[in-house]
Amino acid sequence: MKNLGLVFFPAFDWLISPGHPEREERLLYTRDQLVEEGIFDLPCIKEYRPRLAEICDLQRAHIGVPNIGKLITPAHLTSAGGCLVAADAVMKGETKKAFALVRPPGHHAMRVVHGIRGFCTINIEAIMVEYLRSAYGVKRIAVIDTDVHHGDGSEDVFYHDPNTLYISFHQDGRTLYPGTGFVEEAGTPGAWGTNINLPLLPSTGDEGLHRLYDNLIARILDEFKPDIIVNSAGQDNHFSDPLASMNVTAQGYASLNKKINADIAVLEGGYSVEGALPYVNTGIILAMAGLDYSQVLEPDRSDLRHQDKRCNERVDELVTQVGRLWDERDITREKLLKACGNTFSRKKNIYYDEEGIREQQIETIHYCNDCEGYMSIKTDATNTRFGSQNAYIIVLHRGICPKCRQVAYDKALQAKKGRQAQYVLVQDIETGIIEEL
Amino acid sequence: MLLGIDVGGTYTDAVLIKDKVILAQGKSTTTHGEVLKGILAVLDKVLENQPVETIERVVISSTIVTNALTEGKTSPVDLIVMPGPGMNIKTSFPIEPQIITGYVDHRGKITAPAGTKEVQVKEKNVAISGKFSVRNPENEHLLANTIKEKAEKIFLGSELSGELNFIRRTNSAYYSATVADTFDDFCKHIENSLKERNITAPVQILKADGGTLPITAIQKQPVDSIFTGPAASVLGIMALTPPKVNCISFDVGGTTTDIAFWENGKPLLAKNGASINGYPTAARAFHMRSVGIGGDSIIRKESGGFTVGPERFGPSMAVGGTKPALADALVVLKLVDYGNYDKACEALKQFADANETVEEVAKKVLEVALVTIEKVIAEMLYEWSIQPVYTVDDVVKGTEFVPSEIIGVGGGATGLIDALGDRLNLSTSIPTGGMVANAIGAALAKPTLSASLRADTTEGFYIIPESDIHERIPSGFGLAKATDILEKELDKKCAELGISKQKAEVIASEYFHTMHSYYEVGEIIYLRMQLQPGILFPIEGREVVF
Repeated sequence: MKNLGLVFFPAFDWLISPGHPEREERLLYTRDQLVEEGIFDLPCIKEYRPRLAEICDLQRAHIGVPNIGKLITPAHLTSAGGCLVAADAVMKGETKKAFALVRPPGHHAMRVVHGIRGFCTINIEAIMVEYLRSAYGVKRIAVIDTDVHHGDGSEDVFYHDPNTLYISFHQDGRTLYPGTGFVEEAGTPGAWGTNINLPLLPSTGDEGLHRLYDNLIARILDEFKPDIIVNSAGQDNHFSDPLASMNVTAQGYASLNKKINADIAVLEGGYSVEGALPYVNTGIILAMAGLDYSQVLEPDRSDLRHQDKRCNERVDELVTQVGRLWDERDITREKLLKACGNTFSRKKNIYYDEEGIREQQIETIHYCNDCEGYMSIKTDATNTRFGSQNAYIIVLHRGICPKCRQVAYDKALQAKKGRQAQYVLVQDIETGIIEEL
Repeated sequence: MLLGIDVGGTYTDAVLIKDKVILAQGKSTTTHGEVLKGILAVLDKVLENQPVETIERVVISSTIVTNALTEGKTSPVDLIVMPGPGMNIKTSFPIEPQIITGYVDHRGKITAPAGTKEVQVKEKNVAISGKFSVRNPENEHLLANTIKEKAEKIFLGSELSGELNFIRRTNSAYYSATVADTFDDFCKHIENSLKERNITAPVQILKADGGTLPITAIQKQPVDSIFTGPAASVLGIMALTPPKVNCISFDVGGTTTDIAFWENGKPLLAKNGASINGYPTAARAFHMRSVGIGGDSIIRKESGGFTVGPERFGPSMAVGGTKPALADALVVLKLVDYGNYDKACEALKQFADANETVEEVAKKVLEVALVTIEKVIAEMLYEWSIQPVYTVDDVVKGTEFVPSEIIGVGGGATGLIDALGDRLNLSTSIPTGGMVANAIGAALAKPTLSASLRADTTEGFYIIPESDIHERIPSGFGLAKATDILEKELDKKCAELGISKQKAEVIASEYFHTMHSYYEVGEIIYLRMQLQPGILFPIEGREVVF
């Protein structure tokens, strides 16, 4: 078995708009570096081509309004398909680990999709996680997001799922897009504690990051006992990133990757396309393939600063605060569930920076003693490319009991009859089939 | 008249071609350890009573580089590398490299100058290679200049390939340096021997990519003349029956069968260079595989069943050999009609169980050979299917290869090819003259040359690494102008090498806008052009009997 499966898909013909950070040459220099290093010739690495994901693969994680097909391009199917290929390589035992070095990225795409936000339309990790469950029956999955931005899309998709541990460390939301990702956002009552946010102070470098990993993240990952670990491998904590203000190096990323020991990594953000990506990606690939990465160094380190001394203090606070939250998760969960009864609702105001869409959402989880239950979502968006639109959505969780299924369908039919929304949709997560009533 | 010589693992063939007609052909046994002796023997056969003064060109496809490596006729080399930061490359090359400082980044900027003071030269032959030297070869040149008094033959990675892949360029430079003495010696002998026979025509050597180069040019890159047999056979097929559809070709020799893929009448080139002893090089070749199944492949019966090849112990018993070989099975099954049928039956009889006929044994043997070949085809299809894709367009369109015909040439082709066609459910064709296809391919091969241009308008320069050109970008520069410049450079090279001017084709191009903090600042243009491999003209007739 080879050590690493590598899906490299730079999408040289895909961009969001001219001049956008997500433009054609984002992985050009990375391609140059990897080819020049001879990475693709290494006997311990097996190269894979991405495939086109199916619409039902997307619909296990997303409900598009009016439908997901109208919101995506073939590029999205390819990057999602690249992640599925990576998952197959590992699950079929062809390679020990896999890295989907693909674009477009996905971790800002939420469950309900009206358009593009934070460079993302569909959430490629979430699609892969749901695929791992449907195709291979994997139960416990940990996703660790090493992008500098809070992965609010991933958080949104995994927020109610106690079997998915989502850990995101990022530059504090008070100083960076998307402005969320605080410690208190720890999951809905039934999944409390499986959404871990670790906001770091700007200028945090290798030292602070590893301090956080060694003293907290490692323990949480270990205690969660995941069957599969996914690394949402954003690279914009790098000191040269133009959109953020952190101080992590290629070495810092590579050695972190070695510690995480992820089964599957998926590229996310990172926009220092010349000064960081070629080196960070080389470092991650070598680390995942079990090779020596100690000589992977940026030739130009003039932008590298020492981290502010308060950075470690913030890390230590997080270790204490989040450590306690994690340790008390079962008691808290019980308390919260008791307090909310059979249903739990949350209101969300979502802004799509890329297209200026404003969405209001009410998400209600319906708990059941016999099964995972279901969810109902009311969504109302203005300024989408289809104008204003709204939908009433029922989400049927995996293994839903016949009784809940019936109740959920009745709710959808009622909404349709009462013309409560333009679109009434029923999503079956297991199959990825969305029915429009 | 054109003279083509092909030195194969078993036989050395030569053909003389005039006015699209094969005038003479000759065959002799390849003399291992002394390739030249076999060449001279066949040369004297084919040139008998021919007006040698009308020979316009001699092309040789030989195993000289392969043999030098397997027989250890290599010279010690100092391998000096400048890897800079990145992967640990201590064990990436056939010998331990001397690592010195010096680095060029992916944009071609020198971030550390070559450590000219650190370098130590002990050997006469030296290979020098630096990471990203194709983006800027200055460091390599600086080193070469420093040691030029001490070394005799210096090979630079950037001169062996204009393409990215430091490891491959380095291995190409190393192998070139280590076979250089044997290769130069061979070239000298060839030239002298031809002179003695009053042949004054220019001599060219075939490369693995199916193109030829004059001796003086190939001496700067001897590694590229490795594995030319398969290339010669592909060109031979082109000359005998140019395939029109997508097909798979088989050159069935005594020891091996060479398999190639064809798309719309053109052989597919491998996306990467060939590997030598497991080390990847930049030496371009066709997308081909050699499988150890040939007419003389020995048959063995082991506990798990029959095995065929990969060894050969002389000819099959049907034609006077001493050990049973695959050809005996073909004779028994009447798939071919040559040699002694009874002898072939006798050969297989020893394997027959009680109540088993020799036909049944032959069928089992053939099955093993076919399965082996089929497995290699499947691997080749897989390799082709996973070639990297960089654009959404490629993913949507797909680049699958679907064959619709198979073509067989070579001594053992008849028999084996029809059986293979039945098995793969594809129609088959076996052109006449296929027995000396390799020599025909060598005789008719066109010269190939390739060069690449990379322009980074932010930096204000364009480079053509193969020619060590580093020039300021002229006004009105764009993809069209870049193509024009590269085309002129290839024309110039043709003139220098004394090869006829041909139209170069663009084989790769990339175009990107580059930005700095949201402002468009420039363009990156990459262009690769090549005089495509091919034949001068197809064969239309013959005056010899095969």
